Amino acid sequence: MQPILRLQDVSKVYPNGTAAVQEANLEVGEGELISFVGPSGCGKSTIFRMAAGLSAPTAGKIEVLGTTPEEARRSNGISFVFQEATLMPWSSVRDNVALPLKLRQAPRKVQDEEAERALELVGLQDYAKALPRQLSGGMRMRVSIARALIANPRILLMDEPFGALDEITRQTLQEELLSIWRRNPGMTVLFVTHNAFEAVYLSNRILVMTPRPGRISREIAVDVPYPRGDRFRTGPEFGRFVGLVNESLKH
Amino acid sequence: MNPVFSNLLSRIGPPLIAFVLFVGAWQAVVAIAELPTYLLPKPSDIVAAAADNWTHLLGSVSTTLIETILGFLLSVIGGVLGAILLASSKIVERSIYPYAIVLQTIPIVAVAPIIVIWFGAGIRSIVTIAFLIGFCPMLSNTLIGLNSTDKNLNNLFTLYNATKWQTMWRLRIPAALPYIVGGLKISCSLCVIGAIVGEYVAGVGGGQGGLGYAITYAAMRIQTPYLFACGLMASILGIAFYQIVNGLSRKWLGSWHESEMRGDHD
Ligand SMILES: Nc1ncnc2c1ncn2[C@@H]1O[C@H](COP(=O)(O)OP(=O)(O)OP(=O)(O)O)[C@@H](O)[C@H]1O
Ligand SMILES: [Mg+2]
Repeated sequence: MQPILRLQDVSKVYPNGTAAVQEANLEVGEGELISFVGPSGCGKSTIFRMAAGLSAPTAGKIEVLGTTPEEARRSNGISFVFQEATLMPWSSVRDNVALPLKLRQAPRKVQDEEAERALELVGLQDYAKALPRQLSGGMRMRVSIARALIANPRILLMDEPFGALDEITRQTLQEELLSIWRRNPGMTVLFVTHNAFEAVYLSNRILVMTPRPGRISREIAVDVPYPRGDRFRTGPEFGRFVGLVNESLKH
Repeated sequence: MNPVFSNLLSRIGPPLIAFVLFVGAWQAVVAIAELPTYLLPKPSDIVAAAADNWTHLLGSVSTTLIETILGFLLSVIGGVLGAILLASSKIVERSIYPYAIVLQTIPIVAVAPIIVIWFGAGIRSIVTIAFLIGFCPMLSNTLIGLNSTDKNLNNLFTLYNATKWQTMWRLRIPAALPYIVGGLKISCSLCVIGAIVGEYVAGVGGGQGGLGYAITYAAMRIQTPYLFACGLMASILGIAFYQIVNGLSRKWLGSWHESEMRGDHD
C-alpha cells in the first residue's frame, strides 16, 4: 500500500547551524494515529513543519500523499494544530475556525454551519462570537483544534495540542479526537506529546526520538484494538506500555 | 458628595488651579512691571484681541483646519496605499523604500518654496506641504506593520493556501492596524504644522488666509496680542485634532489590541 507520509534520511540544519533533525526515516500508512515523544528541542515540531511543506529539509526526501508536501498542501490534504493556538486576535472565534473554508472561498453559509459544528465538537458552541482574548489558554487551543478539523484533512498534524489543558478536558478531548479519527477511516493523525500516558492511550504506534539532533530511535507498536476506554487506561497492559515508553526516553 | 463628581474634581482640580494661578501671575507681573504690550501682552489683552477679531480668527482657524484635514487624508491614503504596494513585492520594496527614507529626511521647509513654484501660492501648495510632512510616517509605520505579522499566523495562511491578496487583506492589514494608528497619531500632529508652515510660504489659502498667514501678517505689524491669540488657537487646533484621531483609534482597536486596552476585564 502507498504510504501517506514517507521520510527518507531527512535532515534539517537551520541557517544558524542548529542541527534539529538527523537522518529521520519513517513510513506512515493511511489511517494510522502515531505519536511522537521525545525531549524538548529534539526536532518534533521541525519534522511536522517539514511534513506540511512549511520548511524544507536540508537533506533527504519527504513524500506526502504520494507527492511533495507543497503539492499535498495545495490539494487541501493537510491540517496543522500548532503548538501555540495561533488565532487572529481581531476575529471572532467563529471566524477563526472558519478560516480554512474562507480561504477556499466556500459560501458564507457553509462556513458558518461548519464552524458551528466544529465548535460543538470541542465544546465551545457558546463562544462563537467571543474574541480570542476572552478565552482561557485551553479554550484557545480547542478553537485551534476546531479550525484544523473544519478543513477536513487527510493528514492531521497535531503539535502538543493538549499540553495546556487540565486533566479532565484533556481526557474529554482525547476521546473526542479518537471518535473523530475512527469516524474518518481515511484520516491519518500525527501527534506530538510529552505525556507517555497520552501517547499510549491514543496511538497505534509511538515513535521515540533522541535528543537533538533528533532521530527516531525506537518504535513501539501499541497493538490494542479501539475503542479502548477506561478499561485499557486502568489495566495492567497500559502500565507496561507506559513503562516501555519511559524507558526508551531515558536511552 | 457624589463620588463621580469628586473623582472628576480631584482629576481636573489641580491642573485647573495651576492654570488660574499661572494666568493670574502673568497678568499681575506684566501689569506691575508695565511691560509694553508689543513685547509681552497681558492675558486680558490677548482675550480682547481675540474678541475684537473674532470673525477673522475663526475664519483663519477654519481655513487651516480644512487644509490640515485635506493634507492628513491625502497622507493617510497615500501612505497606506503606498505601503501596501511596497509590501506586496519584495523587489519593489527594496528598490523604492530607500528613497522614501531619504524623502523623510528632507527638511520640508527647505523644499516648500519649490512646491509653491510648482503649484502656485494658495491652498494647493499648502495642502501639498501638509501632505508631504504627514506622508512619510504613515508610509514607514504601515510598512513596518505589514512586515511584522506573526510568523505562526503566516504559516497558517500558507498552510491553507491563502493567495497573496487574501494574506494581505485578512492577515497583514489587520495585523498592521496598531502600527497604522501609531502613524495616524504622528502624522496628524505633523499635518497641523505642515499646514501652518505652508501658509507661511504660500500665503492665502482658500477664501481667507489661515492661521499661519494671520501669524506672519500680525508679526509684521507687531500686533503682538493677536499674534498670541493666533498661536493659542493653533495649539488648540493641534491638540483637538490629535485627540479626535486618538479617540477614533481607541474605537477601532479597543476590542482586541493591547496598546488600546486599559485593563478592562469584560
Ligand atoms: N527557526 C529556527 N531557527 C533556528 N533554530 C531553530 C528554529 N526552530 C527550531 N530551532 C531549533 O531546532 C531544535 C528543534 O526545535 P523543535 O521546535 O523542532 O523542537 P521540539 O522537539 O518541537 O521541542 P518542544 O518539545 O520543546 O516543542 C531546537 O534546538 C531549536 O532551538
Ligand atoms: Mg515543538
